Amino acid sequence: MTQIKMPSKPIENNIGYLELKNDTIYCSKVFLSDIGYIAKNKKISLDFFLNKLIHKDDSSQFRNNYFSFIKNNIDFRQSLLIESKKGKYKEFVCTTSHTQANLSNNNTKSKFLFFNKRKFKTNKKVNKHKFYYKEAAEMTSIGSWYVDLIKRKSYWDQQTRRILEYSEDYKPSINKSVSYYPKESYEQVKRLFLKCSIDGKAFSTETKMLTKNNREFWVRANGKPVFNDKKEIIGVRGIFQDIDETKAKELSLLRTSNIIAAQNKRLFNFAHIVSHNLRSHTSNLSLVVELLNSTESKEEKLELINSVENIASSLNDTILHLNEVVTIQTSTNKSKSLVKFSKSLKRVKISIGQIITKSRTIINSDFSKIDTIDYIPAYLESILLNLITNSIKYKHPERDPIIEIKSYVENSRTILEITDNGIGIDLEKFGDKLFGMYKTFHYNKDAIGIGLFITKNQIDALDGEINVFSEVEKFTTFKITF
Amino acid sequence: MNKKLIELACIIDDDDIYINLVKRVIETKKLCENLIIFKNGKQSIDYFEELLLNLKEDKIPDIIFIDLNMPVMDGWEFIEHFTKIKNKFNKLITLYIVSSSINPVDIDRAKSLNSIEGYLVKPIIINELENIFKSA
Repeated sequence: MTQIKMPSKPIENNIGYLELKNDTIYCSKVFLSDIGYIAKNKKISLDFFLNKLIHKDDSSQFRNNYFSFIKNNIDFRQSLLIESKKGKYKEFVCTTSHTQANLSNNNTKSKFLFFNKRKFKTNKKVNKHKFYYKEAAEMTSIGSWYVDLIKRKSYWDQQTRRILEYSEDYKPSINKSVSYYPKESYEQVKRLFLKCSIDGKAFSTETKMLTKNNREFWVRANGKPVFNDKKEIIGVRGIFQDIDETKAKELSLLRTSNIIAAQNKRLFNFAHIVSHNLRSHTSNLSLVVELLNSTESKEEKLELINSVENIASSLNDTILHLNEVVTIQTSTNKSKSLVKFSKSLKRVKISIGQIITKSRTIINSDFSKIDTIDYIPAYLESILLNLITNSIKYKHPERDPIIEIKSYVENSRTILEITDNGIGIDLEKFGDKLFGMYKTFHYNKDAIGIGLFITKNQIDALDGEINVFSEVEKFTTFKITF
Repeated sequence: MNKKLIELACIIDDDDIYINLVKRVIETKKLCENLIIFKNGKQSIDYFEELLLNLKEDKIPDIIFIDLNMPVMDGWEFIEHFTKIKNKFNKLITLYIVSSSINPVDIDRAKSLNSIEGYLVKPIIINELENIFKSA
């Protein structure tokens, strides 16, 4: 016979405890005598506990809590009514504990449930509580739902119907669940739901839902498994909370912070350009002046004045580049309009027709998936122009350039991909510098290192993204997310 | 001025105008016997790597002036590569950064490196350059 002692550090005022081992419940003497059973009979079956001792209104909640505790170590605290032998209900608060108990026979870790007598009775207040719950649910926009996995039925409370803009007599169904979510969040929710209904893993996530009127909005969705007394999962219960307003604020904050970060980066870049590139010209000028002062020879003086000319012309170039950068920052509020990829490409092809023919470049394009985009037309052309000329500039010496351009939609954003068969670029070495100003990576005479910098700035300015994939000697792909 | 002249100096910079000017200074002031010039870090590293295979005393520079901002391989990368191989030359090679950057980030970074003798901000002052050559 197993001797049971209280855990090493009993919690004060506990009137009783249950030790849960091997699907059997061992009760403490105190607990049993309190509900009028004979203290000798310490072992009771789970079934008896769930169906006889606990009030039927509390039973299913206790069962879920109990199995989540046993299976997944999820603690809980629940107040419940337990029927005494005389048929009277007593109110207890049940709390969980994983205390390492000093058991007489072994030292295995045991799980305990403690039962405390409630100081005041709640049954009289149930109605009042119901009122509070309802108020709370309404004010916080929380609706609850239940999916019965056996009957394959789903249930909503009125709050859920209200949040999702359905009429009060609307009957939800599992088959229709696809219509409650936008496509991309449906997959996410489905995965979580399946995990919960198979592995019993509770979930809490933020996702988008669709109302009856097809309005997308953000919710916090929580769900947890519901068990029957055989530890089988028979349903999933959870809540939806309308968090659209908060989420919208959060997203707009995130956007703002991204814009600030991007602008800050451009400013940093700008400072760098000024520090490096403008200064190099002015310092050359100073050097010339110093040399002019130190020499007497007329010839030499003339030569030096010649170099002033050179300095002036490169200074001019740098200022033109800087101007281009500044123009991007100031023209983001230039009006966007609907542009066709095919049309922009055509214009670019015409403007660099000679280069294309001379280099025997083949440009294949496929805009069948999506051809129109809301963008600044001049930017789109400039992006295409830069990337295409880049591909031609860095063509493979042993083959004629082939450029593939295609557009498609990914995660509801428009993507433009430009792939060439050129010499490629070592991304491990140059990846982080690729889009910097005056960065060149090849021994190419006409490489200035301004094209990609401008391209990236234009894309950034309109909240887009540019990524590059490449293999040296094989290909380079630029992927633009608009 | 009875000290022996520097045999070989090396300048790594991509700015043609600057190179022309500095060359002129070095030649008119006769600061060294010979001068080699590279347009970026990669070219010079290639030179040094090849030199390692066939060490020739007179091909190893006594002093290197390197720019930071250069295409293909910038000054920092060069310094990193060069620090790894410089001991194999059995010769003291002094390394100076010459850059138009007045960015404190660059200057601090240069200070943190043992292999860097000094950081010259462009425009270089002719007297200063002279002093460096004489004291090297």
